[in-house]
Amino acid sequence: MSWQPSMDNQNSQELRDEELVALCQQGQGQYFDFLVRKYMEKAFRIAFDFTRDKEEAKDLSQEAFLRAFSRIKQFDGRSTFYTWFYRLVVNLCLDYARRKGRVRWQSLDAIVEENPERAELADSSSAPEQQAMAGEAKRRAHSTLKSMPDKQRTAFLLRNHQGLPIADIAKVMKTTEATVRVYLHRAVAALRQSLLEFV
Amino acid sequence: MERKQTLETACRDFEEDLVLYYYGDGSEAERSRVEVHTRTCARCHRFLDDLRRLLPQMAQPESLPQSFWDGYYRETVAKIAAQRERSPWWRNLLTPMRAWAVPVFASAAVAVLVVGLLIGRGGWNAQSGGPRANIPQEILTDASQLEFFNSMDMIESLTALETLDGGKTGPWAGPNG
Repeated sequence: MSWQPSMDNQNSQELRDEELVALCQQGQGQYFDFLVRKYMEKAFRIAFDFTRDKEEAKDLSQEAFLRAFSRIKQFDGRSTFYTWFYRLVVNLCLDYARRKGRVRWQSLDAIVEENPERAELADSSSAPEQQAMAGEAKRRAHSTLKSMPDKQRTAFLLRNHQGLPIADIAKVMKTTEATVRVYLHRAVAALRQSLLEFV
Repeated sequence: MERKQTLETACRDFEEDLVLYYYGDGSEAERSRVEVHTRTCARCHRFLDDLRRLLPQMAQPESLPQSFWDGYYRETVAKIAAQRERSPWWRNLLTPMRAWAVPVFASAAVAVLVVGLLIGRGGWNAQSGGPRANIPQEILTDASQLEFFNSMDMIESLTALETLDGGKTGPWAGPNG
């Protein structure tokens, strides 16, 4: 099976999410592959931010795609596809975190270390001392994130890591924008406190 | 390094707005308010600087090789294809009529239930009348006589009660009682 979407029509790749979803709802499930390609990196990164485990992140984000596909006919278009899909990812991640009880630290850098031939593909833009400090700061930051209430962590990760607007985070979390602002503020204040020595 | 020892907080009224300002959120008025304030407030200015130094580091995505994403994509679409093949045949039958299937099936179910109840009740009534019609007339007469004897037993019991009561007259007793 080719990993490229089977539809060779260039226009298919330019279809908007709602058009792709409509095609899937009409039984043309092969168009879902475009949604996978478009959102796989974001889904994986959200899952990795929550789990800090590459394999778990892969499994959870793939499970989110499977759920989205099986429920695509239930998607009513009241929200955008991506807020609906992000909600699936986040819920799976939160369920995972509750089941697991704790989150084991793993840096994505470790994956590159295990595969030296891929090292040249890793980000090499930062100076070594900056990278070392950033590594330790990240470790501390994720320890702080891990101990945060789910809602604060979710709001922070979606805003800071995924760059979602507050309005969309409110939709993903099914709450108000004002509440998201409060969660975000509390998360940032806690992180700043824990990372003060790295400032 | 001196700042390690103590956490310098921003002004209470501004801290939330500073976070929003950092992310480029908030209204124009809120952003102007923060800009004016941070020009004169060193603590809030430092708070904003801290966010600018710390938060982008955390958000910096770590690279994964293209081969990882190719494999990921292949695996995911293969799993979806397998799921598509596993989906039950009746789901495909129902899918085209999903919009109107629910009210139609609900109405049909109610209609079947009502008809079933009507037929069932008619059958039950017919059965309940049937056996009585088959009972011989003599036995029915005996049955009505049995009711008569039962009432006589009750009258006898009343008499026995009056005897036990020592001839006391009850409120229902006549002038001779």
